[in-house]
Amino acid sequence: MHIPDGYLSPETCAVGAAVMVPSWSAAGRRVRKTVKSRYVPLLAIGAAYAFLVMMLNVPIPDGTTAHAVGAVLIAVILGPWAAVIGVSTALAIQALFFGDGGVLAYGVNCFNMALVMPMAGYFLVYRPLTRHVSLTAPRRAFAAALGGYIGICTAALCCGIELGLQPTLFHNASGQPLYAPYHLAQAVPAMLLAHLTLAGGVEFALTLGVVSYLQRANLPMLRINHAAVPETDAEVIRPPRRVRWWWALLPIAVMGLATPLGLLYNSGAYGEDNPKADTAKFLHKNHLTAIPAGLNHYANFWHHALFNGYDFSHDKHPALGYVVSAFFGAVAISVALLTMFWVVQLVRRWRGSHDEDVSDLQAVGT
Amino acid sequence: MSTAPGAIAPDWLVRSEVGLCPCGCVGRRRKGSFVEKTLTGAADVMHQAMFGDEIAAGPGLLQRLDARVKVLTLLGLLVVAALAHTTAVLLGLYAVTFLMAWSSGLRLSFFVKRVWLFIPVFTGLVVLPATLNIITPGQIVVPLGNWWFGHTIGLTSQGLQSAALIVTRVAVSISIVVLLTLTTPWPRLMGALRALRIPRLFIQVISMAYRYILHLLGSVEEMYVARRSRTVNPSTDLKAGRAFVSATAGALFGKAHHLSEEVHQAMVSRGYSGDARAIDSFRLGALEIAWTAACVVTACAVLGVDRVIR
Repeated sequence: MHIPDGYLSPETCAVGAAVMVPSWSAAGRRVRKTVKSRYVPLLAIGAAYAFLVMMLNVPIPDGTTAHAVGAVLIAVILGPWAAVIGVSTALAIQALFFGDGGVLAYGVNCFNMALVMPMAGYFLVYRPLTRHVSLTAPRRAFAAALGGYIGICTAALCCGIELGLQPTLFHNASGQPLYAPYHLAQAVPAMLLAHLTLAGGVEFALTLGVVSYLQRANLPMLRINHAAVPETDAEVIRPPRRVRWWWALLPIAVMGLATPLGLLYNSGAYGEDNPKADTAKFLHKNHLTAIPAGLNHYANFWHHALFNGYDFSHDKHPALGYVVSAFFGAVAISVALLTMFWVVQLVRRWRGSHDEDVSDLQAVGT
Repeated sequence: MSTAPGAIAPDWLVRSEVGLCPCGCVGRRRKGSFVEKTLTGAADVMHQAMFGDEIAAGPGLLQRLDARVKVLTLLGLLVVAALAHTTAVLLGLYAVTFLMAWSSGLRLSFFVKRVWLFIPVFTGLVVLPATLNIITPGQIVVPLGNWWFGHTIGLTSQGLQSAALIVTRVAVSISIVVLLTLTTPWPRLMGALRALRIPRLFIQVISMAYRYILHLLGSVEEMYVARRSRTVNPSTDLKAGRAFVSATAGALFGKAHHLSEEVHQAMVSRGYSGDARAIDSFRLGALEIAWTAACVVTACAVLGVDRVIR
């Protein structure tokens, strides 16, 4: 994933550096605040460690080797901000001494591996999965490993997008690419495929192995970033699990997002046909010779609906009409429900204050 | 290879595997375990670091330059290489880097090898498919048959041109970086970065990390030797190897942290209060001015010619 110089336009490199400068300064401030004057040796250790982890090649079945980045591992042990500085430093040494990753592309490489990777793995995966989990729980090691996997894949996705944008944005008059030659449709799948399978697997295995080793053999190491986490499961105090009302919105949101699926289905529901819309078909389908008198009389009794047949403007834009009517329906039902809610609460509050008045009176009476 | 004074790598570590000729012509070829290969790679790292220091101490044009000026001008040339749009101009710039290497007393074969070591792996393999008409449509100059779902496959002139452009640009960029790092001792490079207003925190971390890498590599080596000396079965066991790697990585962290505590105590006992001072002795003489002028002229020439023949 180390992008060498020459693959990215100077403009892309400048954007990468512009993103990284404030990130580095924020990381520096955060780390300085948490570990005080010890931060320099600790960060240097993190950097040296990141460098060595990137050198530990692990064999994979096809006969080649892959290496992990270790950014999420360092984020778990030293904290995510220390990981930003540690991996950046390791990348600087690699770029300067071993030609692994470019000097101009340094900002972009840092963005992928030192910012996106630890942040995605730590804050999106590790932290949510380890809430109320003890320090020695296998689940913690697994969460760290999954964080490593997601982290390296996210970084690979960013790398693929950066490379894939080059031929689109930077080419000469004859359309010949000036920098990386692959388009988004080629660069992103290539990067993701390699990292979803090989490098991601190595990252997962290494993070799992190291964290579970530290859980077994060197718990104080994990204490650096987890000062207040209890050691065993028995000591974990889990707050009573309360189901909040907003969880109910989740299935509604899912159904709302799935609304366009209804467009795939063309015919109406059974028994809801309008006899007057296509009389011949209705009669044939139901083996009748004439529409029953009652049905004929009351069908289309009400035809002033706003979105008649989930549509407006007489089926000129069926898809748009369907989605718009779905949206209006959802809003209307929400407004109606909220109004009911509000009325019920109003009534309860009124009754509550009324009861208090009564109890006050009783207290005075006694 | 001679060992620099104070270097921590013993000779037996830097030497390649016993009983195996590097070309594979003597003795039975044995596929070493991946742990072994990793450690060989690590030994190479040390070798490069120590060998690099020897070149940086030698006499030569780039070695005599002020480090700040060198960093700024070479960074400028790096940007110029990134901005150039034609292969011919980049080849010219590549010739200029040869001139610099020659004037700095670098053996040209070593310089070329050092640069092209990285290029086939990173660039060649990646760029090769882009020369085919599947990726880069255009005029086919070297047809390669009709095996792709009945379509003609071949190298296109457009693909070859853009591949040549990328490969030369990468070669020039790596050459410039290699020139900088080979001719500048590590502490001087750090001093130059500090003079260029890079925050002290990062400079301190980078310099200490560099020192720790060599130290921690020694620890890894010791752990590996300790394990090998207790291993009877010569065959490589991948599963055990993997378990060893993750346990080594974990144990290494423990050792590293212990080391950092000791180093911190040593620093505090010598009066460290969170900020470091260093002796920065920089000079700006006629040589620096002439060098900067030469670099500016080269940059203008490269960009000017590039604009004309683009």
